[in-house]
Amino acid sequence: MSVTAINRTLTAVLLAVLVAAPWVLPMFEAEFWLAITAEMLIWGLFAASANLLFGHVGLLSFGQALYFGFGMYGVAIGVDRFGLGFWPALGLGIAAAVAMAAVAGVFAVRLTWHYFAIITVVFSLIFYFLALRLKPLTGGDDGLSFAPPPVARFGDVTLSLGDETVQYLVILAFAVAAFAFQARLYASPLGRAFAAVRESERKAALLGIDVLKVRWIAFVIAGGLAGLAGALFAFYGRYASATYMYYVVSGEAVIWTIVGGTGTLLGPGIGAALLTLVREELSTVWEHYLLVVGAVVILTVVFAPRGIAGAWNAALARLPGVRS
Amino acid sequence: MSVVPVLELIDVSRRFGGLRAVDGVTLSLGRGISAIIGPNGAGKTTLFNLISGLLPPSAGRIQLHGQDITHLKAHARARLGMARTLQIKSVFPALSVYENVWIAARQRYRPLDPFGLWRRDRATAAEAEAALEEVGLTGCADMAAGSLSYGDVARLEIAMALAQRPSLLLLDEPVCGMSPAETEQAVALIRRIGERTDVVIIEHDMEVVFGLAERIVVLAQGRVLADGPPAAIAADPAVQEAYLGQGEDEEEAVHG
Repeated sequence: MSVTAINRTLTAVLLAVLVAAPWVLPMFEAEFWLAITAEMLIWGLFAASANLLFGHVGLLSFGQALYFGFGMYGVAIGVDRFGLGFWPALGLGIAAAVAMAAVAGVFAVRLTWHYFAIITVVFSLIFYFLALRLKPLTGGDDGLSFAPPPVARFGDVTLSLGDETVQYLVILAFAVAAFAFQARLYASPLGRAFAAVRESERKAALLGIDVLKVRWIAFVIAGGLAGLAGALFAFYGRYASATYMYYVVSGEAVIWTIVGGTGTLLGPGIGAALLTLVREELSTVWEHYLLVVGAVVILTVVFAPRGIAGAWNAALARLPGVRS
Repeated sequence: MSVVPVLELIDVSRRFGGLRAVDGVTLSLGRGISAIIGPNGAGKTTLFNLISGLLPPSAGRIQLHGQDITHLKAHARARLGMARTLQIKSVFPALSVYENVWIAARQRYRPLDPFGLWRRDRATAAEAEAALEEVGLTGCADMAAGSLSYGDVARLEIAMALAQRPSLLLLDEPVCGMSPAETEQAVALIRRIGERTDVVIIEHDMEVVFGLAERIVVLAQGRVLADGPPAAIAADPAVQEAYLGQGEDEEEAVHG
């Protein structure tokens, strides 16, 4: 067995468990967990956007919430103001995030490290305050609520987000598609160019890699992933709010990524799921639960710099009979 | 001049504040193996940075095969057939030796393809394997590049440069830090490469320089002090003086 083969098997098992969840959870009278799992999937997708930039191209973004917010508002404004259906509104949300990332990326990718981190925060703060001010369009502090349109109609059968199972399966389908897309992306020649730029931009340039172009492409794709997460979250919560564009939300994506495993495929999802779980369970009994999150992050950075996924892979490789 | 020179520098200068690191260099390089030598701080690596596009010149023009490349960025120059290794050896440490060379080889064919699978690209794989074979690193293909010994990193850098199939190869101190045995191998390798590619090396080891180069350019204080075949350079009193003025280490380098 190789580490890859074991991880593939486990991923298949995880996928099967996630697909079966709407039917299995009621057996244990735990329907409540379906909504939480859906939320974990969305946050996992959002963390994957930060991971694409940080783990794969070496750019630490503290501004991914901006694109999440554009995805949310694209959906909310599309449904509430333009009366769009599910698919066009979803498309509008993703398109808005991608367009914003394409513009911000032109400026941001010229910088690296803390300068890059700062410019991503600045961009997201500008639009955060703008969203608060543009009350007629965004609802300002109150946000923008809407009634979600049906996902699809087949004759007499209407698939509606009002049905918890449908909502969960729709979110799961998009999350699976987005992670499959990333797996494919990282295995492509473009994915190798990402890695080259992350490892040494000077060497990459000397080999003929247009570093700024590669970073820009990554920035736009990451914006699209965050936009998809935001669009799904808008449908999930039936509203959009500027709160989710705040840079603290961006920071959470970075934290989830670091805890889960920077530069791995599923690490960000694992980190997001774990810390969402901590929030859901612990925040009800202890209001200072963020102290636990802080401790988890510090312990991860010190003892498992490659995160949970990285530590898992290292542990697997040490088992007898397992090839790395 | 009936033949277009491989690389032509026309009155190229680079200033850092008040320092003229490269000061009005006019040079025509190429055809076989040429070497650039000079005492520390003579501007050799700055000159390579100007040629490869890592630094923009303050003044002057640079042409590759007759084409003006003065304002092209490093990656665009690489695509025109220029490859370069760095003085402080630089590879992609977290990637495997094979991946390093694969990435170098892939840049000539749809480098940013998001749809293909890199492991299934047979043509690039064959080129990467050939480059590893040529420098003798085939056995280390699956190792992380960051875990190689210093001499092997230098060889990997040369393999990456070869995988680019350059028409002009710039080597910045290729044998620096190598053991005598490794140096001997590297010299033989560079000589082989020089039979099919134009090579310019910067090197402090005079034995290597005089053993390889058909032409030697001596830089001192950012200017061309001497330019000619090895025998003429060795006999040039101005060159001796430039080195002797530098202290014992450099003196040893000239005579040793």
